[in-house]
Amino acid sequence: MKTTSEKNIAYTGNIAICGNPNSGKTTIFNVITGLKQKVGNYPGVTIEKVSGHFFVSKNNPRKYKLLDIPGSYSLSAYSPDEYIAASSLFGEQTNSSPDAIIVVIDATNLERGLYLLFQVLQIGKPVVVALNMVDLAERGGIRINNKRLSNLLGGIPVVPVVGNKGKGIDKLKQEITRVISQPPSSFVISFGEITENLLEKLKNQFGNHYNSRAQYLRVIFDEKGPAERNFISREGEEAFALIIEGRKQLENEFGSLLYAETHILTDLAEKFSKEVTKVNNSHKRNISETIDKYLLHPILGPIILVITMFIMFQSIFSWAIPFMDIIDKAFSLLGEIVKNNLAEGPLQSLLVDGVIGGVGSVLMFVPQIAILFIFIAILEDSGYLTRAAFLVDRMFRWCGLSGKSFIPLLSSFACAVPGIMATRTIENKKLRFITIMVAPFMTYSARLPVYSIMIAAFIPYKSFLGIMNLQGLVLALLYLLGIVMAVIVSFVLKKLINKKERDTFIMEMPSYKVPSLNSITIRVINRVNAFVKRAGTVILAITIIIWALSYYPQSGEALKTLANKKAELVNKYQQENNKILNDINALFNNQKGGISVNISEMEKKFKLAQNDEELKRTFKQLSETYPEQTNLLNLYYKLNKQRLIHQKVLAELSNERAGQQIRSSYLGIMGRKVEPLFKPLGWDWKITMSVLASFPAREVIIATLGTIYNLGAGVDEQSTSLMDKMKKAKWEDGPQKGKLVFTPAVALSIMVFFALCCQCAATLVTIRQETLRWFYPIITFTYMTILAYIGGLVTYQIFSRMGI
Amino acid sequence: MTYLNKMIPGQRGKVIGFTKDGKLSRRLLELGLVPGRSIKYIRNAPLRDPMQIKIGSSFLTIRHSEASLVAIEVED
Repeated sequence: MKTTSEKNIAYTGNIAICGNPNSGKTTIFNVITGLKQKVGNYPGVTIEKVSGHFFVSKNNPRKYKLLDIPGSYSLSAYSPDEYIAASSLFGEQTNSSPDAIIVVIDATNLERGLYLLFQVLQIGKPVVVALNMVDLAERGGIRINNKRLSNLLGGIPVVPVVGNKGKGIDKLKQEITRVISQPPSSFVISFGEITENLLEKLKNQFGNHYNSRAQYLRVIFDEKGPAERNFISREGEEAFALIIEGRKQLENEFGSLLYAETHILTDLAEKFSKEVTKVNNSHKRNISETIDKYLLHPILGPIILVITMFIMFQSIFSWAIPFMDIIDKAFSLLGEIVKNNLAEGPLQSLLVDGVIGGVGSVLMFVPQIAILFIFIAILEDSGYLTRAAFLVDRMFRWCGLSGKSFIPLLSSFACAVPGIMATRTIENKKLRFITIMVAPFMTYSARLPVYSIMIAAFIPYKSFLGIMNLQGLVLALLYLLGIVMAVIVSFVLKKLINKKERDTFIMEMPSYKVPSLNSITIRVINRVNAFVKRAGTVILAITIIIWALSYYPQSGEALKTLANKKAELVNKYQQENNKILNDINALFNNQKGGISVNISEMEKKFKLAQNDEELKRTFKQLSETYPEQTNLLNLYYKLNKQRLIHQKVLAELSNERAGQQIRSSYLGIMGRKVEPLFKPLGWDWKITMSVLASFPAREVIIATLGTIYNLGAGVDEQSTSLMDKMKKAKWEDGPQKGKLVFTPAVALSIMVFFALCCQCAATLVTIRQETLRWFYPIITFTYMTILAYIGGLVTYQIFSRMGI
Repeated sequence: MTYLNKMIPGQRGKVIGFTKDGKLSRRLLELGLVPGRSIKYIRNAPLRDPMQIKIGSSFLTIRHSEASLVAIEVED
């Protein structure tokens, strides 16, 4: 864990770790740095920048910074996103290239790893190769002579490691910190006469502007890539003519610029790989191939996928609920304690309804996020995630999505927040944004309370077409509505967003492996941390703003009247109480020889009763125990009956006060102001205002309606008293004055609105966090609200005309 | 000569080249679809697309539309 003393130590050196996707690079990074990680972002792109630090050993105080470079197959880049790996190794953004580089190579995929290594070596920094998954390679009959490889590479250390078991990590740390102070390896790759001549010319002309061969190589080979653009803007079009000239020569020589670099590197990689690898053919065939036979089987494959997804989905739902209940209970208990210990007023309300409520609602997401990411980490690390995408890709493609959108969208059915966070596995930017923008349609766990109360109150419980229940049918249609809208919207977005960018589905299917508990734990903790820290604070702020809008302004007059009423009630109650107590005393005094009754116990038993029924039961029990004390028992009964009535009246008064307050609050004023806008949907200002108040989270609408109708915020979706109030609510003014507000048509329009809107601050904040721009959450909120409005409007207009 | 997407699952072939240069071809090259190398077309996804291929000891998934870029000499 972080201690202050550890934090204050300056870095001895900067190290970067890079490697192919699926090479186990992140696992090794996690094992080296543990929880000492810092998550930021690369400027301008949506790629996370993760760095951490480590010490060589416990007794060695030297601290090293380790930067996790996004996985890539090559340093060549055609888009800013792809250029991240290269530019952070060159040090283009920070103006300081790392002092040393660890290149992680998957031992089962040596050639591909060597290709990247050769490019990295052109940077001219000390390098250590981490030859990962040597155990897996050996099980597949592949033996790599790491000493021989090291010799071929001119003495670059090659450390065999098993990242997910932590094997070889100490050695890797020792080697990288040893070479960091040494000159880079003398290993040279010749790119052929034309390229070498061109490099020489460039170095002579612009030598001090670029610090490595690798950078020039990117300018030469990546036609129209970011490196080329940077070069032109720095050195001018004239200097660029030199490059164009060179490219022409290369094309003549190799037939295409494409092969000028790849040809040399792939040949060399193949040669090296053959020289150091011993394949034992007697070994049984690739185990992954055997597993694939079942998991990718045309019939069995989809069945296994459905079962896996079902288990995952169920777990997010059911495993998370007990934890969410605990969090919910803990925070309402905390709220209760604060409420009882602080005087009524702004501070109490801010703490209870704003701060505690807000923090609680942030933490409520944690169990779902944690469980989903445990699953995703397992699926990803085991190698199944790519296979799942492979199985469903065709299904998703026709509406502009791809197989990679599958898991994020499925998870969104439980909760859009972790679902949106899960889109990180989608590398294609366009695809990722479409997936993010339609994910909120899938959420229905937060919509469910709204649906339940509206359906229970206004949709008749009767059979429809003989087979289905009307209530169930409405619910099913609402789910379907979300899915259909998601399909339509993604189809439209696909047409709208950047038509040029070609969506590809070329992926490596990594070998199956057992995921490491350590790596999963670190990933889940980091995810949860990022959510609580970054999204949590904004959600809390929004909750407090909405609280303030529904609390202020305080109408002094009305509150005074209510306070007076309360004082009056308390006074009256005490008088009556005293009267009965006097009667009890009189009874004692009149009874000769005292009363052989345990008075204090009797009192206690009566006081335990919290409602009329309990009180009657207590009375009956005690009458049986003390048949001769009817008078005394009668008096006690009366005393406690008074107490219960008084409690109820006070609660009602408090609800009335809350109702009064919210109705005259800024939110209430806003509700009345925008009422005309929502009238075509059949809503009065109270509904409008509740919808406004539910901006932080859809389910808040129920508590708000409860408060408005003087029932207090404690009502839930099963509250019959709220249903009654809604059924009886009438229009206060306007042409419909005196008519019922809530008709089935209005209930349907509310539900359709909620099915399509994005009334969830957490979702919007998460979208911002994932896309790095407020543009996307604003667009998402706007388009969904417009759709929701139109949906509600059409629904109300159709059904109200049908007289429903 | 044929194209990767025109092959039959189970067939082996040798990569000849690409019908078009550019980003996609470069990515395929870096993933090991190097001219001269052997590949094996393993299977299609349940809905026929994408396909799974094997190069050396590693597996790739690629859509048929993308596979049409790769010229192949079928081996028996």
